Amino acid sequence: MHETELHDLSDDSDYAAASRHTGSSNITRSDSGKSITSESGPLKVVYSKDNVSIHPTQYASERISGRLRLFKQGSSLFLSWIPYKPSTDAEDDSFWQGSSSISKEKGRNLYTIKLLPLRDVHSIRRHTPGLGWQYIIVVLSSGLAYPPFYFYNGGAREFLATLKHHVCIVSCIATTGLCKSVDDANVFLVNDFQDPLQNSIISRASNRASLHKPSNSFSSLDDSKIVNGTTYGDISSAISEYRGRPKKSHDPARDISIQVMEKFSLVTKFARETTSHLFRENHGDLLNTHRKKQQVEDGFLNPATSSSDDEKKTTNMVQVDSDPLEFEKLPLVWGTQRKAPLSLEEWTSFLDSEGRIIDSKALKERIFYGGVEHNLRKEVWKFLLGYNEYDSTYAEREYLASEKMHEYEILKSQWQSISAAQAKRFTKFRERKSLIDKDVVRTDRSVAYFEGDDNQNVTVLRDILLTYSFYNFDLGYCQGMSDLLSPILYVMKDESESFWCFTALMERLGPNFNRDQSGMHSQLFALSKLVELLDSPLHSYFEQKDCLNYFICFRWILIQFKREFEYENILRLWEVLWTHYLSEHLHLYMCVAILRRHRAKIMGEQMDFDTLLKFINELSGTIDLDWMIKEAEALCVCAGENGAACIPPGTPPSLPLETNMGLYPLEDEVL
Amino acid sequence: MASRRRMLLKVIILGDSGVGKTSLMNQYVNKKFSNQYKATIGADFLTKEVQIDDRLFTLQIWDTAGQERFQSLGVAFYRGADCCVLVYDVNVMKSFDNLNNWREEFLVQASPSDPENFPFIVLGNKIDIDGGNSRVVSEKKVKAWCASKGNIPYFETSAKEGFNVEAAFQCIAKNALKNEPEEDIYLPDTIDVAGRATQQQSSGCEC
Ligand SMILES: Nc1nc2c(ncn2[C@@H]2O[C@H](COP(=O)(O)OP(=O)(O)OP(=O)(O)O)[C@@H](O)[C@H]2O)c(=O)[nH]1
Ligand SMILES: [Mg+2]
Repeated sequence: MHETELHDLSDDSDYAAASRHTGSSNITRSDSGKSITSESGPLKVVYSKDNVSIHPTQYASERISGRLRLFKQGSSLFLSWIPYKPSTDAEDDSFWQGSSSISKEKGRNLYTIKLLPLRDVHSIRRHTPGLGWQYIIVVLSSGLAYPPFYFYNGGAREFLATLKHHVCIVSCIATTGLCKSVDDANVFLVNDFQDPLQNSIISRASNRASLHKPSNSFSSLDDSKIVNGTTYGDISSAISEYRGRPKKSHDPARDISIQVMEKFSLVTKFARETTSHLFRENHGDLLNTHRKKQQVEDGFLNPATSSSDDEKKTTNMVQVDSDPLEFEKLPLVWGTQRKAPLSLEEWTSFLDSEGRIIDSKALKERIFYGGVEHNLRKEVWKFLLGYNEYDSTYAEREYLASEKMHEYEILKSQWQSISAAQAKRFTKFRERKSLIDKDVVRTDRSVAYFEGDDNQNVTVLRDILLTYSFYNFDLGYCQGMSDLLSPILYVMKDESESFWCFTALMERLGPNFNRDQSGMHSQLFALSKLVELLDSPLHSYFEQKDCLNYFICFRWILIQFKREFEYENILRLWEVLWTHYLSEHLHLYMCVAILRRHRAKIMGEQMDFDTLLKFINELSGTIDLDWMIKEAEALCVCAGENGAACIPPGTPPSLPLETNMGLYPLEDEVL
Repeated sequence: MASRRRMLLKVIILGDSGVGKTSLMNQYVNKKFSNQYKATIGADFLTKEVQIDDRLFTLQIWDTAGQERFQSLGVAFYRGADCCVLVYDVNVMKSFDNLNNWREEFLVQASPSDPENFPFIVLGNKIDIDGGNSRVVSEKKVKAWCASKGNIPYFETSAKEGFNVEAAFQCIAKNALKNEPEEDIYLPDTIDVAGRATQQQSSGCEC
């Protein structure tokens, strides 16, 4: 039965070609005078089904029913789902007034899909459980998904059949080499080729593999734009809304905090499964594209593929034509409401009578969602940074502190004992010292703790950094380290403890400062994969603008957003990051969150690398910390294993690979 | 031509960490000096409108990190540069010795079309320190090096006191302009005269 769902390749391409012809006969006069291949015409309903419902929660009372429709205009297909007004809602029950009806009203606005262009859909997954209703899950190109649509009166199959009749569903998969990803016949990858941005990647890659090129025959689909939709009063206004601005009505009310995560865990799981295929494929494509670029640069381009230049031009034009704002996506998962910081009372409840932390995971979770009260930081940070073991006792920690203090003094004396005569013959030492001297006087001098001439704390900062450059002579000193140390010293207010906490932090962040920049490059690479996964339009835009190196985020990553927030907020941010609660790489999701937030502006203003860098630098001091954490949390949950798969093993702040080895078997047992 | 948008001149400031690149840029653009500029991480730029012979240009001044470990980022930042400013600290010999590396690194990474004639400017900064008593790089030495690299214009500056900063950047702007392809701009032929007239305290800006 699954097999029959797969459409024959030739059928669909024929169909698409045919629809292009009918489409082009519909071309209306374009007032700009330019020969735009836009298509327009009346919106036709090609599918309509009543009593298609979503289940925002497990409560039957909260279900929202509506009408699912497919519209066709020219060769473009749109999906809409409009919930019924409360009065006509079959599920509505006066018994459930009060809060339920309010949340239902919210849900109604939240989930309404006025007109979703099918080109924004990555795939549709159909479920036909033996018991209960059939449902479909619509996964957007961004990897995010709408909640399942339940077909109370049946018709899921018919829906997909209609869809297939009007857009290429599986054929494009075959031509672009994505067919092998459909090992589950219930997943329908929708018209990747219709997405001009994705198309550029795919067509180049497929071209390289000397596969049949889909792009030419479907170019009209690429170009398709709605010129003046009429007839459907309601809907046509939605179109203009869609064309001008992102669909505001889909913007989730930001304050809906709640456990939406749980509600959507099902969805995101599906989204994950489906996008994992795409991701793997795209991954390959990107590498191929890079390889090819390399070939071009090296002058080894195979004549057989030389048509690619023309192809590139075409796709570039298509990219320019497409309205970037069309790609505003609807995040379906929200981060958890932030809590108050961990208080002394709570903290003590985590400790047993001898001072061990009984449940370190719960502690980390707690800190992740709220941070730590300032006066507890000195104690708590030592655990988060790994200087103290969670299962150590008060006595053990006290002992360790005195041992470490002693050890620090010895390390420090190594450079303190260098005489002037020796220093004269020790260039490396002199250079390091002068670099550190120059940097500590430029580090957080506006913070009261480091303010003023001859501030003793600035000297301590210098001593610790110089000692560290002896402790880790190979790494030495690098700019940015003083930024990382300053908050630690500010919290610890103790030289030796600050040194050891800094050392612990550098176990993870040290590779950021590698001479070959390998630690930074692996993070920037992971970031680019994450943006590709979570925001493919933005990724394509960056590719087009030659910004895929993500140098624009270099400062964010190198010093963990140190320059982007007020000092107080940095303390909060860092303790959240250090919990490694959802991911060791939450900072990368934060980068994605910020970039996504400004995507409309970035793409709308067509920022190039320079402008973008300036824009990013100037965001400093304007980012809302709680928002950023929540958003990163949601993205991280959304991306799930695929997100984790974007990050190469050993990417900082992960510990270097060898030390990680022993841990994996344990993880398997959990699941 | 006249209706073209105002022309952008891109200038890159390079030099060892702490020689005063950020301070020079801020002194020139904002007429301010602060002891509290942070060490530069990554790169940033400021823009300033400049007038050269009755024409207005936008000078885009790129401030980069001096730490050599970050040099691999240069590829992205240097491209399209019209002029490169090499800064050293007259009180630190090493920072002068490194000028050669910075110059070569720039030429490799920016790969300008005509490296032989690409405009560089050298600035010896912090001449205010100790009333000049702690300087270790003699003017003679610098000028010899500048001459050997195709007569690079040289200025001695103090970002702290604002000394010679304006003049240096005037020269920088003019040289950047010279680097622009001819057909892009209309250059009045009086530029040479005007160029010399604005020079002070310099060993000769070859504008
Ligand atoms: N006395 C004096 N001090 C200066 C002068 N210019 C800069 N400084 C000081 O030198 C230090 C370094 O200046 P910056 O402008 O930050 O140096 P930079 O070249 O940008 O350094 P990086 O960003 O690390 O590459 C700061 O403490 C400045 O206050 C100057 O002309 N005279
Ligand atoms: Mg600087």
